Amino acid sequence: MNPLLAQFLAEAADLLTSVDEGLLQLERDPGDPELVNEVFRAAHTFKGSSGLFDFPELTRLTHAAEDLLDAVRGGKLDLDSGMTDDLLAAFDLIRGWLAHVTQHERLPASAGADAAILITKLRGPLGGDATTPVVEKAPIVHVIAPPPEWLSHFEQEWLDATATWLTTTSSTLRFARYLPDEGCFFRAEDPLHLISQVPALARIAVVPPDEWPSPDDYDEYACLIGFVLATRAGHGELDHLFRYVPDQVEVVELDGDALRRFLNGEVAPEPVEAADAPVVDDPQDPAVVEDAYAILAAAQTSLRDQQEVGGVRLASIAHSIASAAAALGDISELSDLNAEQLTETVNRLLGSTPAPPAAPPPPALIERSAPEERIDRGRADDPGGQVGTKILKVDQEKVDHLMELVGELNVAKNGLTFLADSAEEEFGSRVLSRRIKDQYSGLHRIAEELQAAVMDVRMLPLSVAFSRFPRLVRDLSRRLGKNIELVMEGEDTMADKDVIEALADPLVHLVRNSLDHGIELPDERTAAGKPPQARITLSAVADGDAVVVEIADDGRGIDPVKVKRKAYEKGLISEEELESMGDQEAVELVFRAGFSTADQVSDLSGRGVGMDAVRASVEKLGGTVTMKSELGTGSVTRLRLPLSMAVTQVMVVSVAGQRFGIPVDLVVETVRVPGGEIGRVLHQDVVVLRGEVVPVIDLAAALRMPWTPDENDDRRILIVSLHGQRVGLLVEQFHREVDVILKPMEGLLAYADEFSGTALLGDGLVLLVLNMKEVLGLAARAA
Amino acid sequence: MTETPVKVLVVDDAATVRLYHTSLLSEAGFAVEEAANGLEAVEAALTTAFDLFVVDVNMPKMNGYTCVETLRSETVGTPAPVLMISTEDRPGDAERAYAAGANLYMVKPVSAERLVRVARMLTAGRGIPA
Amino acid sequence: MPLELHEATATLTDVVTVDEVEPLAAWLRATEKPKVNLRRCNHLHTGALQALLLFRPKISSAPANAFLAEQVLPLLAGGNGTASRQGSEPP
Repeated sequence: MNPLLAQFLAEAADLLTSVDEGLLQLERDPGDPELVNEVFRAAHTFKGSSGLFDFPELTRLTHAAEDLLDAVRGGKLDLDSGMTDDLLAAFDLIRGWLAHVTQHERLPASAGADAAILITKLRGPLGGDATTPVVEKAPIVHVIAPPPEWLSHFEQEWLDATATWLTTTSSTLRFARYLPDEGCFFRAEDPLHLISQVPALARIAVVPPDEWPSPDDYDEYACLIGFVLATRAGHGELDHLFRYVPDQVEVVELDGDALRRFLNGEVAPEPVEAADAPVVDDPQDPAVVEDAYAILAAAQTSLRDQQEVGGVRLASIAHSIASAAAALGDISELSDLNAEQLTETVNRLLGSTPAPPAAPPPPALIERSAPEERIDRGRADDPGGQVGTKILKVDQEKVDHLMELVGELNVAKNGLTFLADSAEEEFGSRVLSRRIKDQYSGLHRIAEELQAAVMDVRMLPLSVAFSRFPRLVRDLSRRLGKNIELVMEGEDTMADKDVIEALADPLVHLVRNSLDHGIELPDERTAAGKPPQARITLSAVADGDAVVVEIADDGRGIDPVKVKRKAYEKGLISEEELESMGDQEAVELVFRAGFSTADQVSDLSGRGVGMDAVRASVEKLGGTVTMKSELGTGSVTRLRLPLSMAVTQVMVVSVAGQRFGIPVDLVVETVRVPGGEIGRVLHQDVVVLRGEVVPVIDLAAALRMPWTPDENDDRRILIVSLHGQRVGLLVEQFHREVDVILKPMEGLLAYADEFSGTALLGDGLVLLVLNMKEVLGLAARAA
Repeated sequence: MTETPVKVLVVDDAATVRLYHTSLLSEAGFAVEEAANGLEAVEAALTTAFDLFVVDVNMPKMNGYTCVETLRSETVGTPAPVLMISTEDRPGDAERAYAAGANLYMVKPVSAERLVRVARMLTAGRGIPA
Repeated sequence: MPLELHEATATLTDVVTVDEVEPLAAWLRATEKPKVNLRRCNHLHTGALQALLLFRPKISSAPANAFLAEQVLPLLAGGNGTASRQGSEPP
């Protein structure tokens, strides 16, 4: 992609963000002139930059938005939410277009029609400004001229293909013949250069002289050739380009049929249409003259409008007059910096007579006139060296691949510990084992650093996950007739991109829940003595290797009594629990499967799945959800997620000769107790640790594996912590901790909920990682 | 054999427009520096003697008019030519530009050719763009 | 230098102006089997194009410039402007 377009797309993304944010803020704070100005400026910049490309619809649409914002800025209009909707819709449309541009480098075909609708809407509040046409439709002129004979200068083959193409597409092309006169080189004319300026040029061909002179008689300063060209440029563009040589140019518009007739031998008798433009008898490069005159006129204005022109200004005006004069071939002596004298000089130069003809054209002028080609080359070679940035944009896939390699490195690294074991056990070499372990620890350190570095690359700010909420809250609250302020805090907190991505759905669910069930209607709030505007706070904070995200609202809160009753009615809790359950526990009932607090299903969040889905997806990420609520004052849902989830540390244990992994995060400690110390309370094995009674679950029994501990051996118990509760797992043996890349369960095991995933160990064995929550559930059912 | 290159300061808040003007001018042999608003431009002009300023009108922090006024004021005091390029074509804007001290006011889009031509014309006496 | 003339090869660089037309024509006139390198050429003055059309030197290196490569080179390659070396495509 052309670097200029790439730059535009990058800039556009920033502008769209600030427009969106600005508009949403404006709705909250309608009078803020700074905000209006900011949004206006973004629209303005958009319009200006889009003008550099061939995106007329984009320019028109941003122009309409800019005009509306300008009226708001000037106090002529008050921004209402209808206008905000239209503005947001306009910029949403643009966002879609830019995605298309990114792919195809042009606007989608529907752009014109889509833009027209929005432009009409945006212009509506301005009183449908008549001076600005809604859609500038080019007048469709089908002036099909008879084909002139000079078409024969094009190759037959090309004409044939073009005729077919034009017929198929029902389109036309402009064909021009340009016959410069022999002496044109002396007037600094360069016909080929002029032709290179023709936009949308399809083809050129040379009109050779009737007879080429012999090399010896050849006069290189006589222009003997002419050109024919075909272009999609309009008549107006051609008229403008050839305005100084109108009598040498002939333009016709032809369609496929006309070309076909020509190819079949029908030829127009006489040239039909010539570009008409004022004849300017000017020997110099007209563009230079025009610019020089513009500079002189500017100097004249500056000198006239200002009675007192300071020294610096006078010097600058004198300089610009001298430059223009030099360009016109008039080397004026401007020794005195005197306003009167300068005015006199300018008046003379601008005087009724055209600039004095500079007989031999300064060759430099011609050299100056091919910047466009150079720019193109520059763009290709040098992607805008000026706009240096130290940020490297990397394809996500590459980072993912890097992460995979880190995972494989970890696995290979873990293999060394197995090798060390077998060196000692199988080959009896403790020394070799020691040395392998040394190697391992060196490699381990490097792998850890590498892993940390890659993790760091994968970190994204939470603002990525939060960014959709201002819009979501605005749209939904309007639909529900609620008045809500969204406050976001800690958007800069970083977390792994997988965590951020996985967080998106639970967050949307929770925010919608707050909006739908938590926040009251304004009347209800007023009646309850609360401000009519409710507040939802979305915050993130890093906590060690975890990130804590909270969704808080000041709505009606959860009624624990109501929740308990509902849970009881749905058979989720027993009558006993209904009586004894505390308020906090009751609130957490909303996370139970099959629970939904809304009395009626709303179209927003009441989709049958409730908070249980949120808890499940958060726990799948290795996180936890808790909720606190106070009736009448609001609720807070707290998600605690690992900062990264790519590599999991697991503790390996075995039962019945089979190894399993348990996430290290859950492991509290490993203990060995004599068999006799295992007690039994209410059919449940327990162990007393430092005065605390911890239930002990037989992992083998829970997984239905045949194994009974040796009577004489100590019992090995792994203490884990789940939902704040300590549980002991009776296992056969403890092994080491390993870093693994957890892969989800697939195939036949996909439904085995007691496992959260599989991991490859260094010795090639597949390790099943336990989903502790499910395992405990299994154990409870087995008991 | 080359003389010191002609130094141009391109002042525009729109990064794309800035890149466009900058690449055109540097391709044409000018030594180009950039500023994103009037304030940055004034700061740059205080430390570097530019031979030409290409200034946008509508910019945050300090707009083009104030920027040019400041360039011409005693604070900076540069007589170097100033080209103002605006997105708008409203009556009175050109006069405002000239009153501020600009030497030429042009309305976007300015063709590549014209920008380079005018830049060369206005800096003709100040070294040849190599 | 827009024009570098060697024994058998002329290298045209950047913008070839009317000033280069005379030396180029003289060189083409005097050189037996002239070769012209256009790779770094960004614009050809009409007079230079005309000289190339008359003397028909071998183009040893095609121009990188888009306009010259797409539109002008076929003119130089075709014999008397009737044949085209490149396949032509409808616009």
